[in-house]
Amino acid sequence: MNIDYSNEKSVVAGRLTLAQIEDLVAKPMGTKPDKKFFIAISISLTALLIGAISVGLTFYYGIGMWGNNQPVGWAFAIVNFVFWVGIGHAGTLISAILFLLRQKWRTGIARFAEAMTIFAVMCAGIFPIIHTGRPWLAGYLLPYPNQHSIWVNFTSPLVWDVFAVSTYFTVSLVFWYVGLIPDFATLRDRATTKFKKTIYSIFSLGWMHSNRHWTHYEKAYVLLAGFATPLVLSVHTIVSFDFAVSILPGWHTTIFPPYFVAGAIFSGFAMVVTVLVFVRKIFNLENIITVDHLEKMNKIILATGSMVGYAYAMEFFIAWYSGVSVEQFVFINRALGPYAWAYWIMVSCNVIFPQLFWFKKIRRSIPIMIVIVILVNVGMWFERFVITVTSLSRDFLPSAWAYYKPTLIDGGILLGSFGLFFTLVILFTKALPVVSISEIKAVADGAQPTHQGAENHA
Amino acid sequence: MAQTEFNYQKKDLPANLLKIGFAIFFIGTILSVVAFFVNQERAIFNYLVTYMMLVSISLGSLFLVALEYVAGADWSTPIRRIPEYFAGLIPLLFLLVIPILIFNHDIFHWAHEKAVASDKILQGKAPYLNIPFFVIRTFVFIGLWSLFYWLLIRNSVKQDSSKDQLITKKNIKLSAIFIPIFALSITFTAIDLMMSLQPHWFSTIFGVYYFAGTIVAAIAAVTLAVVMLKEKNYFPWMNNDHLYSLGALLFAFVNFWAYIAFAQYLLIWYADLPEETFWFLTRWNGSWAYFSIALIIIQFAVPYFVLLTQPSKQNPKILKFISIWLLFAHLFDLFWLILPNMKVMKDGYVFSWIDLVFPIAGIGLVMMVFYWRSRKINLVPVGDPKLKRGIDFHL
Repeated sequence: MNIDYSNEKSVVAGRLTLAQIEDLVAKPMGTKPDKKFFIAISISLTALLIGAISVGLTFYYGIGMWGNNQPVGWAFAIVNFVFWVGIGHAGTLISAILFLLRQKWRTGIARFAEAMTIFAVMCAGIFPIIHTGRPWLAGYLLPYPNQHSIWVNFTSPLVWDVFAVSTYFTVSLVFWYVGLIPDFATLRDRATTKFKKTIYSIFSLGWMHSNRHWTHYEKAYVLLAGFATPLVLSVHTIVSFDFAVSILPGWHTTIFPPYFVAGAIFSGFAMVVTVLVFVRKIFNLENIITVDHLEKMNKIILATGSMVGYAYAMEFFIAWYSGVSVEQFVFINRALGPYAWAYWIMVSCNVIFPQLFWFKKIRRSIPIMIVIVILVNVGMWFERFVITVTSLSRDFLPSAWAYYKPTLIDGGILLGSFGLFFTLVILFTKALPVVSISEIKAVADGAQPTHQGAENHA
Repeated sequence: MAQTEFNYQKKDLPANLLKIGFAIFFIGTILSVVAFFVNQERAIFNYLVTYMMLVSISLGSLFLVALEYVAGADWSTPIRRIPEYFAGLIPLLFLLVIPILIFNHDIFHWAHEKAVASDKILQGKAPYLNIPFFVIRTFVFIGLWSLFYWLLIRNSVKQDSSKDQLITKKNIKLSAIFIPIFALSITFTAIDLMMSLQPHWFSTIFGVYYFAGTIVAAIAAVTLAVVMLKEKNYFPWMNNDHLYSLGALLFAFVNFWAYIAFAQYLLIWYADLPEETFWFLTRWNGSWAYFSIALIIIQFAVPYFVLLTQPSKQNPKILKFISIWLLFAHLFDLFWLILPNMKVMKDGYVFSWIDLVFPIAGIGLVMMVFYWRSRKINLVPVGDPKLKRGIDFHL
């Protein structure tokens, strides 16, 4: 296969006209949901319901319903929290960093990834709140002058989490919404019923596609991208501080911040690929979300997966090199101890299998891609499990060592978080354009004036 | 496709570059040799600082070349020869590293058999920190870098005449293989030559820390060369968007360095474990405290505010100033990493003229290598298929 490097490859395949692009993307919003939609949403709602029941039982009986016990006092809740926050990172990376890097291919996937960010952060936010055991007091997580004179502990990274995640959620939501405004206007203009027209009109904020509007819009978008970029780093950095500022071996290591960020992008991209592969098929978006885009995402999965592998290797090497016996023990215990099974699931799913993406054929093969990205999702969940549980289950006091086992309720809540996530994703595909109509039009062939002029279309 | 043909006429760099470079190198080398006789220990520590600086610029530049291929960037294609010239230093590292190996006893505490015999922790590290393995590692790394330098640049030069697109494809593959090798070798180079100076100390992020500084230094060197060549009208096609991209990259990596440095510091400070904190405490003893604070200002605060706004990222004068500044900042960073490990300077910095002479020789050497490479290789990769796109680049 020969590539012509002297020309940029088209972002949109199939030589679609601008009207065709608009019709294609706007179609799900104009048609009634079909059978497949109801099947999908009933599955995800069932999972959500199981989660709701598990959470209800937890509230009624207390968090004794979970597997948490001495010495493992921190398990599924934090694992799920970190997992979901991580999933969210792909969206911000795609929408902000790839935007600043002028990667045009991001346009096909950005909207969807941003939506997934918001949903994933919503899923993540549930866990710290239910883990407090008394979620109705969650308001005290925010520092405000109150009549009880109760303040948060500002030196705790858990409080930093509250700031980081809520900032992240707000900025992501605003970013997403700003990107949606021109599309709301398009949908408003296409709407056939009065009801739809009213709703889309409200959300489009009077957008007229005028030159002036676009000038403001583009400025706002660059600024928001600039704001969102440090957030990609800061959120998971602070999540890593939850562990790394402690003195527990296996948690306290200086590489944690960049390692967590790389892992978050890794898992986020894997989740985006997992979902997009189905979305492009179901909504006939193969020309807009092309195999080229998926291949590029797989390259990023390969790169970030290798960074995660580098971090695992460094942790191991430095544990040996440090000469600190507890450090050495923790890492040998991870690889060979009672949780070796989890450790090797993590290593094989996160480091070994993604290496298959070195081969172009595998990067472009949809069935193999699906298997690998799902394995990455599994592996990244286990990474957080390994970090959290192995270090706690065998700490400094051997007489207190114990093997942690999750309960059915733990599993139910985890399942419920997936249910919530996919319910929101499915509703999103029906309610809003899954691809940014205005942006994808701007990168379609012939949309921009070029130096070559008309010859580009020859 | 009727594209306007890009006519490249080879135009030599001013011969003054070589003359001045040689003069600087000559003076620097003489002073350095004198320094060796005056105070061998201090001289070799300073030699190490300059050596690491040269590794940063040359290896960092090769990484930038590889990154362009892997990322498929086009804006940087017309200026890719600049990092290729800087990477020309890599084969010289074979010679440059020799004094460090010869005088290892002066630098590395773990190379003292007596010290190891009475120290249980050092005994534990002996399978890694021992002279034969250390020498092997050092040469294997330089060998690998030289190999990839030779392969990548040979292909790139070949393309000037053959204009063969397959060469781009080949170099993309080579670059993809080079990057993981680069990541591991630079990590262990940082551990071997800098972290092991204080053999009891350890930090998992140390390799990333050095990598971050390396990239800042390499981009700064490239930016400086590009701006100076532009001033002399070697790049008539260049527009603000090319400069902006360089400025933005610099800004990004200044932030990345600060992020990594802050992560390392915060976690060690917060956990407050004596086996980790003593390394920072050494850098807080006496006058070293001023260096530690100055490092934050020099390598982060100043470049951050200078490069923050959009116009400043494309202003050649600002870029020239800040790239010189950042090259100094990286040198300062290396100095801060390496010199406090000298026993006599444990309690604070004591000034000596020796600290100033080695970088002089280094600057001269870089100038000479840059000139020699430019004599041999076109200043613009004329056969690169992405060249036209790169020249027409607009944001």
